[in-house]
Amino acid sequence: MIRIAGLRVLYGAFAAVNGLDLDIRRGELFGLLGPNGAGKSTTIRVLIGQRYPSGGSVSVAGMDVVRDWARIKPQFGYVPDRENHFEEFTGRRNLEFFGELYGVPKLRAADVLKMVELDEAADLPVRGYSLGMRKKLLLARALLHEPQILYLDEPTANLDIHSAEVVHRILRERVKEGATIILTTHDMDEVEKICDRVGIMAKGKLVALDSPLALKQRHTERKVDVIRDDGERLVFDLDDPRAREHLAALVTAGRALSIRTREFDFHATFLKLTGLAFE
Amino acid sequence: MRWYILRALLKKEFARHLANRGGIALALLLIAAAGLLSVFAPQQAAGNGTDMVGGVHHCYIEFDRATPLVKHLDANQPPELKSALRFEKIDPVAIGTLIQRQPGTGSIQVTTRFEGTKPVLEVHVWHPDGQPEAMAAYEAWFWKETRRALAAQVREKNPALPPDPDFSAGHWQTVEAHAHLKAQADKLGATVPELHVHRKGLAAPPLDFRSAIATGLVVFALYFSCVYLLPTLNCEERERGVLLAQALSPASPSELLLAKFVFYPAFGLGLAAALSGIYKPQVLSSLFFWLSLCAVGGGFLGIGMTIAAWAKTQRAAFLGGMCYLLSVSMVLLICSTNGIPFLSNLAVEYHGPRILHAALSGNANNSHWLHLMAAIGLASAWLFAAGWVFRRRGWQ
Repeated sequence: MIRIAGLRVLYGAFAAVNGLDLDIRRGELFGLLGPNGAGKSTTIRVLIGQRYPSGGSVSVAGMDVVRDWARIKPQFGYVPDRENHFEEFTGRRNLEFFGELYGVPKLRAADVLKMVELDEAADLPVRGYSLGMRKKLLLARALLHEPQILYLDEPTANLDIHSAEVVHRILRERVKEGATIILTTHDMDEVEKICDRVGIMAKGKLVALDSPLALKQRHTERKVDVIRDDGERLVFDLDDPRAREHLAALVTAGRALSIRTREFDFHATFLKLTGLAFE
Repeated sequence: MRWYILRALLKKEFARHLANRGGIALALLLIAAAGLLSVFAPQQAAGNGTDMVGGVHHCYIEFDRATPLVKHLDANQPPELKSALRFEKIDPVAIGTLIQRQPGTGSIQVTTRFEGTKPVLEVHVWHPDGQPEAMAAYEAWFWKETRRALAAQVREKNPALPPDPDFSAGHWQTVEAHAHLKAQADKLGATVPELHVHRKGLAAPPLDFRSAIATGLVVFALYFSCVYLLPTLNCEERERGVLLAQALSPASPSELLLAKFVFYPAFGLGLAAALSGIYKPQVLSSLFFWLSLCAVGGGFLGIGMTIAAWAKTQRAAFLGGMCYLLSVSMVLLICSTNGIPFLSNLAVEYHGPRILHAALSGNANNSHWLHLMAAIGLASAWLFAAGWVFRRRGWQ
């Protein structure tokens, strides 16, 4: 659905994106992660046609994002990281205006407002909305024309747990209906929970690309932490036969006060992959 | 261009002004001002003068032949007036007739003719209507040097001619001094031409302050909508990211541009027409008025959109509009007071008030049609520039 080949984006001499290759399949919810300045938002900007690539090519549904921008535009919805509403309009009026541009019926605004649970605040001016409400209104706007592609820049930032759950549910539903979604986020739990695949970027390059489960399997430490009855802490590597025998003996002798396996830590994995982990 | 998109964009602009009522409040204030002007000002309130400031910043010395007198005058321009004096040879038949110049100028026309064998120096002094004293500095120099030139001509053949009076003392009078010189020359058998002096006003129509104020209101209405409201609201949309949101919708940059090109001039022209209609209803049936309004509105729209495309923030747009206004005012003032030719013609603001004032006062003549043509040309150039800049970077 989305093909990025050798993408380079330069800001002067600085390469914000440096040779990015990525294929995103139709009906996939793809998480794009990375530390600040990794190139995620620049990649999204290229995808929405706000920034021309300095090199490489980007195509969406077989169309070039630069050459065929006007044809691609109606096919995607975009949630920016910074809210951008007409403050003086109500939530409903904001959506009705964009609905008119997309040529969707007026009633559609009410549907999406209900979907994001903003129906009760629909007729209040946006200037009175909380940050979370504004964020949900952005998602509502992006969903207005039922786009086949959604680009979401931190869609759950500033949302409470319930609202974030609502957003996750909506995104999963859209994916079930065949939509392709790319989201950037700093929330590792969110990635684990909803993304089909994850790409981790650092310094303009892709440093990892896989499903959250595969990343988990690859990066889980097969180690067991044990506190012995004399208070000493021991670590057993399960890949080492001698360590396994030692652990078994300890448990059989009833000398293990506490046994804990090391769980997969997406955050630690992310830090390791992006080179940001403390040594 | 898709009508449903244009309609949505126009409705949005209208709704924004309904929600932010500052623009509407100012428009109502302007209409109230026009109403008060129409009701309370006396119908024939008029002032004299060719411009609001008065005075003569440039004096043209117009002559038909480069006589020794003219050469003497040209060679003896005082430093303090040198930049304000312009020597121009004109058609002999034009001597004694008014030659149209820009406001704030006067002229002294010089010719020598013969009545039989008797030479007559004929001088026409054209001063602003009602302001003969505005030519005083130029006349003081002119008469002094004329006296010296004629005396020098006599002295060449008759060195016995008594010395010139002390011009710096300020005791001498033009006509008396000339009569005195003539008497002295006659005694020596020399000829000094007779002096015929004609003083005339420039015959410019008196300035109607009511139409001047109405012109000011109309120009302000166009400036306000196109150079203030348009860039500030456009930049506000850009600053908030709403312009980008619209650009990412099916609306093309051309449609976004067209909606703004339609709404703001329509608002400005509607307001300007309402103000003009309140002041003088019959002006609404004048083709010249509508052409002038469209030319000035178009020019201001181009300027406003260019500022809107370059300025990144609302504050920058506001300051951009102010800086533009100040810069153009300064350039026009400098050009006007220093007689710098041509440059003023490049400003819509130079032609705009002239044609609108002519339209509102019903005094449009050929020169005003030329100003209108120039304004239309400049407006087209600004609109082209605005479209080009906006398409390149305006929505980002």
